[in-house]
Amino acid sequence: MTFSKILVYVETSEDSPAEHSLELIWKARELASKADMSVEAVLVGHGVFDIAREVTYRGVSKVHVVDNPRLATYSLIPYTTAIAEVIKKTEPEIALFSATVIGRELAPRVAARLKTGITADCTDVDIGSWVDPSTGRKYEKVLYQIRPTYGGEIMAAIVTPSHRPQMATVRPGLFPIPPRDTSRSGEIVGWNIEIADEEFSKIEVLEVRREQRKVDLKSAKLIVSGGRGCGLKGLELVRELAEVLGGEVGASRAAVDSGWISYDHQVGLTGQTVKPEVYIAIGISGAVQHVVGMKDSKIVIAINKDPDAPIFRVTDYGIVGDLFVVVPKLIEKLKRR
Amino acid sequence: MPVNVVVLMKPVVDPKAIVNFRPDGTIDRSAVKLVVNPYDKYAIEAAVQLKEKLGGKVVGIAMAPLHAVDSLREALAIGVDEFILLSDLKLAGSDTLATSYALSAAIRKIWQKLGSLDLILCGIESSDSNTGHIGPEVGEWLGLPSVSYVDSILEVRDGSVLVKRLIEGGYVVMKVKLPAVLSIAGTSYQPRIPALREVLAARRKQITVWNTAEVGIDQSLVGLAGSPTRVVRMWRIEIKRRGKIFSDPDVDKMLEKFLEEIRRDGISLGVRS
Ligand SMILES: Cc1cc2nc3c(=O)[nH]c(=O)nc-3n(C[C@H](O)[C@H](O)[C@H](O)COP(=O)(O)OP(=O)(O)OC[C@H]3O[C@@H](n4cnc5c(N)ncnc54)[C@H](O)[C@@H]3O)c2cc1C
Ligand SMILES: Nc1ncnc2c1ncn2[C@@H]1O[C@H](COP(=O)(O)O)[C@@H](O)[C@H]1O
Repeated sequence: MTFSKILVYVETSEDSPAEHSLELIWKARELASKADMSVEAVLVGHGVFDIAREVTYRGVSKVHVVDNPRLATYSLIPYTTAIAEVIKKTEPEIALFSATVIGRELAPRVAARLKTGITADCTDVDIGSWVDPSTGRKYEKVLYQIRPTYGGEIMAAIVTPSHRPQMATVRPGLFPIPPRDTSRSGEIVGWNIEIADEEFSKIEVLEVRREQRKVDLKSAKLIVSGGRGCGLKGLELVRELAEVLGGEVGASRAAVDSGWISYDHQVGLTGQTVKPEVYIAIGISGAVQHVVGMKDSKIVIAINKDPDAPIFRVTDYGIVGDLFVVVPKLIEKLKRR
Repeated sequence: MPVNVVVLMKPVVDPKAIVNFRPDGTIDRSAVKLVVNPYDKYAIEAAVQLKEKLGGKVVGIAMAPLHAVDSLREALAIGVDEFILLSDLKLAGSDTLATSYALSAAIRKIWQKLGSLDLILCGIESSDSNTGHIGPEVGEWLGLPSVSYVDSILEVRDGSVLVKRLIEGGYVVMKVKLPAVLSIAGTSYQPRIPALREVLAARRKQITVWNTAEVGIDQSLVGLAGSPTRVVRMWRIEIKRRGKIFSDPDVDKMLEKFLEEIRRDGISLGVRS
């Protein structure tokens, strides 16, 4: 039996495939063309056949759909079963997930179910052959899983030579979205997967509190972001500086959770991934979950009163000082120029 | 209802230390101090708060080389009742699938000894491998529900736990059947600093060491042989940031310097000028 496909797990967002899943399809297509493989997708939910059609427009030859009213909202254990069963039946060489708050718990669960290896948070993946130095054995169609480790200072390349599928979660925001082409046709296959009642009852969602996104920071050229150090008053200064510089306003999750600014301004793992020319972080400590969302900014400037704040490790220009003194003076000087 | 809790904690290379490579490209862990993974302290705090509220027992477990013992004393000082160190040369080189298998076998043994087990808490990720895999994978090996990114444990009642979980753009509140595995995200649990008296008492508390045979671990499923993944290369990334720091009590002077410097570097601050 030959394995020759890459399977992408597609998350949904409202009635569409999630953007980060489409980015992953872009990357999977690149790998597939390099190694002469095909790209397929798996979609779980209820009433998702239209979304599956959308996915085929992005260049996927087959979409496997597990559609069931009880799967309408995400639930870890039944989703694990649905995806693991599709993988067992279709035997892909590689299975890719996005490194989102869902992907990062779902993918390892699927991997453990299938007793295969998985690499988290890849910033790139490649495909090629690999020779095991200890046995001399050569493996083909090996997924090179490239990821930061040790808090981001060190990169590692990881392979899963003899287990299938080779699994990885891949960070969102790294690849383009493949163009939508309605002339493309792909096959849509519905699967009827049996899932025990018990799997649904182990975790019950009682309440969802979520804000919708309105502000788009992705295309902003300059972003001034405020964090917990700002308080409500400091955020006013952040807004004023953004205004003077003609930029957008961003925020850390701590500022959003404190209610000082709405979620659509949040930058980071659970917010937006941004790449402006200039990113100014004010009163933000630089937690990894924030940094993953802004580290690809061209120039990073930080204002923080703590000289040891981790944000200073990822900045081009760091200003050590009290933001309530520094920012008003900076605004004044910029206005005078 | 008293709850019995197992807390997973990983001794890691002090995240503040600079890591060095050996000539063969592997990380040299011998030279640096080991500490408890910072994220796991939130999980310990959550466990100890549950114990204070409801009663029950908190058992800590780490899978690590023997010399990690010292890093674990802090947890005993904070309120962990017992500590198991799963340590065996055969475990060296385990990836997340193998580690989660070994830990789940040890948890089964603790579970047997306690008679009942309600919660298994871990950190959201370790500061050295940063995968967040262990929680969900342990859940899968034990056939238990797991929830990652738990902000807070709201209530334990009638064989279930109510948790608040972080998602994109907000939160969900979910009811999870016990026993369950929760990865604590740390936003709500500020780890306490143990008092000197507790630190001293912790020195006398015993850390039990288990090897793979005692736990009944299938040795073909751990170590390098039991790990599907291989690290083939590691390299240090150059942080391409300029890293220019401005610090001066005279703020005006400092800002003038800063503005002058970015002008010289040809960076436009986007001012419409
Ligand atoms: C699953 C998960 C997802 C997450 N997603 C995100 C995300 O998408 N985005 C995000 O940002 N975070 C996210 N977080 C939270 C993240 O871990 C941090 O808690 C958060 O980024 C901290 O925000 P902060 O830097 O504003 O606050 P803090 O860490 O409290 O830092 C405040 C900083 O302000 C400085 N300061 C205080 N007063 C002053 C002053 N007067 N002048 C100058 N400086 C001052 C302090 O020195 C400190 O460095 C997530 C966490 C989890 C667990
Ligand atoms: N060797 C280990 N011993 C005990 N707990 C661990 C070990 N490795 C990981 N964990 C737990 O699993 C969590 C996630 O770790 P990781 O999957 O390595 O990012 C950590 O925060 C710990 O709570």
